[in-house]
Amino acid sequence: MNSAPLRIQLSWDTPATGERREPTLAIPIALGRDFNAMPAQIQGRPVSRMVLNSLEVSRFHVLIDTDSGALVVIDQNSRNGTFVNGQRVATNGRTLLANGDSLQIGPYQIAIAFGARTQLSAASRNSQIFFNPNTGLPDPNPPPPLPVATTTHNFPPPLFQTLEVAVQDLHATGLPVEEVDYATVGAGLGSFVWADLLRISGVKSSQIAALGIAPQPYSRYKQLCLNSQIPLHERLRSNSDSCPDNIWGWPSYAVREAWHNAVRGHWGTALGYLWQVFAEPTFAQTYTPRAENVFASLDREVKRIGWEQMFRYGSVRAIRKTTDGRYAIAYSRTTTGYRNHAFLVAPYVHLATGYPAIKFLPDLQAYREKTQDFKSVVNAYEPHDHVYQHLEQYGGTVMIRGRGIVASRIVQRVYEARLRNSNIRLVHLMRSPKPQGNKFGTSQRRVEHHYEFQPFNWPKACWSGELREMLEKADPNERQRLIADWGGTTTALRHDWQWIVEQGLKLGWYKIEFGEVERVEREPSGIITYIQEKNFKGQIRLEADFIIDATGLDAKVTASPLLNDLVTHYNLPLNPLGRLSVSNDFELVEMRASRGQMYAAGAITLGGSYAAVDSFLGLQYAALRAVDAMTTNKASGIRRLNGLSSLLQWGKWVANKSP
Amino acid sequence: MTPTLFGRWQTRLLLLATVGVLITLPFSLGIIGPGASSEFFWILGYIALFGFIWDILYNYLQKFRWDRDWPGAFQLFAGIWEAIFMACVVKFLGLPNVPRELPLNGFIFHYSLVWLGVYIASQTLMRILFPRWRFKGGQWL
Repeated sequence: MNSAPLRIQLSWDTPATGERREPTLAIPIALGRDFNAMPAQIQGRPVSRMVLNSLEVSRFHVLIDTDSGALVVIDQNSRNGTFVNGQRVATNGRTLLANGDSLQIGPYQIAIAFGARTQLSAASRNSQIFFNPNTGLPDPNPPPPLPVATTTHNFPPPLFQTLEVAVQDLHATGLPVEEVDYATVGAGLGSFVWADLLRISGVKSSQIAALGIAPQPYSRYKQLCLNSQIPLHERLRSNSDSCPDNIWGWPSYAVREAWHNAVRGHWGTALGYLWQVFAEPTFAQTYTPRAENVFASLDREVKRIGWEQMFRYGSVRAIRKTTDGRYAIAYSRTTTGYRNHAFLVAPYVHLATGYPAIKFLPDLQAYREKTQDFKSVVNAYEPHDHVYQHLEQYGGTVMIRGRGIVASRIVQRVYEARLRNSNIRLVHLMRSPKPQGNKFGTSQRRVEHHYEFQPFNWPKACWSGELREMLEKADPNERQRLIADWGGTTTALRHDWQWIVEQGLKLGWYKIEFGEVERVEREPSGIITYIQEKNFKGQIRLEADFIIDATGLDAKVTASPLLNDLVTHYNLPLNPLGRLSVSNDFELVEMRASRGQMYAAGAITLGGSYAAVDSFLGLQYAALRAVDAMTTNKASGIRRLNGLSSLLQWGKWVANKSP
Repeated sequence: MTPTLFGRWQTRLLLLATVGVLITLPFSLGIIGPGASSEFFWILGYIALFGFIWDILYNYLQKFRWDRDWPGAFQLFAGIWEAIFMACVVKFLGLPNVPRELPLNGFIFHYSLVWLGVYIASQTLMRILFPRWRFKGGQWL
């Protein structure tokens, strides 16, 4: 029996945010939901206590301690059990722990390492790929982040170092200053949905300005879809009723697609879609709209509400309060060749800048830094069609990391490549087995082949039902717990994907492996992933020609230079997940000015009263709350959408008339 | 649908009081159905009344579903169950102002039309007249 170390490293991804935690702790270690329920000392030895915030975790769930010189995990009569490498530890029972084992406690998947495992720097532990501020696309080597108030080139001007800027001082710079009633920053889907609702609520297009770098509101979204292998004819993971072009959700995308088929005489197909939305998800596979149909519907709405008149090309550098109780936005219109800056002043400002960055696994980041190989090791959200082209032509082995919806789509893409070249193998590397799905109250999420299933990225009732209400009523600590229990990496239950996984596993071209990656190296035989040794079985090496990181989009707002500047300049509070702290109406209350208000929407607000912020329907919810709050604040030109005005506006939508 | 309990109650009440009444009117006047009678309005009232209790059960059952949703198919099953229950109560126990010799065909015809009308209105008109309704678990107030 090996003697147990005095300190071990635990590592896990926080379920709510995906953020990596890797504490090294002295034995004994107590894990539980309630710090005070765990003992401070055991037999005179101080206990390292770690709080895991989830209702699935008992107050004092498990103890890691030494027993006759070996490391053991001892369940503390936990309600939902403790799993080691997928095997349940008997209630109150104990199991030996070895280096490389994985411990599942509720939604937490914790890897055990004896001694510090990796030499990765703190900076690369939460490594990211940033969006190029000029193209809006993921870029592994973006230009140095410019949008900070204290930058060279004298823009934004030095007066932006004060807390409030005077509008006459902006004019004095000689740069163009435009004044509008409503300004939205980002000009992506979040901005569009907000502007759309403002237009429907009576605001004129001349009163609204949307600042961004792409005229099409779905430009970045579409590019990320295409990069992550969702071609235009494929279906998005979005509900039939989530229509960013139509606040009412009627006609839904399923009804539109059914109608489209019915008028062409395809009655069976049409009825099929209607059956899906009637019976989903219990008796039919959940209906999801085709990407191209969503984009086409947005194109129509773009024209209808006059988005072209609202859109301004520009990359926002800084936002400040003005002395007259509004906000000043400094933005750059610089294109190749000449420098061009301007200001926008508005009493109502909306931030919808999207994901600040893409998550990238630190070991892959380290590999890239070392080898400068950006072609064989990619993130799924980066353009990587060359991987499939190479595979189709020459065959090879591809490794996927992560097990969410993007991983599923890439498994499908590799399957399609295999139809052209059967000499393709797929290794799916997961951190740990997933023996059972998350539990909440009397319900549990379904798991198959270590994939956890859910129609959308949150349980459905997070958008509008009971769970939305529960989260809104919860205090900040409870909210974190609920988000941990409902969140996590899931994929959609699609019959074609299930079939591909079953076939692949049976025929052997698809393999699922588990382990914590130690390092990734370029060697003559390919790219080698070294897995932490397990139970003294020796080191495991996995060979591949390509590695695709499908772990997802995720980042704190401080990763965005613009938001980071705003947060530090005004000392704004962040919520426990490191996102903007907003009210239930999505207002940044600390930024309130005498004549205006600032709102936010999308991924930058996760962690507040609403979970599904990052979805079409969630953006519409945020817009409804914000516009209703601005109506109460008597913002210029808004009329509250009531039964009659809503019906009239819907009629205009049907007739494709300007609101 | 991902209704809350209050959402279920509010939607049931509003739709039975509007769409339900509109559909029941021609039945009570004898334009359609087995003949002019006020019993159809009484049945409509009992559907609303008993429904308040059924909604508590449905809301409880919904908690066993991970997504806390209530598919259209479940609404149909609930509708069929409530019809069977109502018919049994009328036939075996009796309800004030509803004769025990209620013609079953007429009852099924009226009940089905009301259910269909309410279901279609909840999928279409409610969303258009109450744009916040679907975001609030079916609460329109």
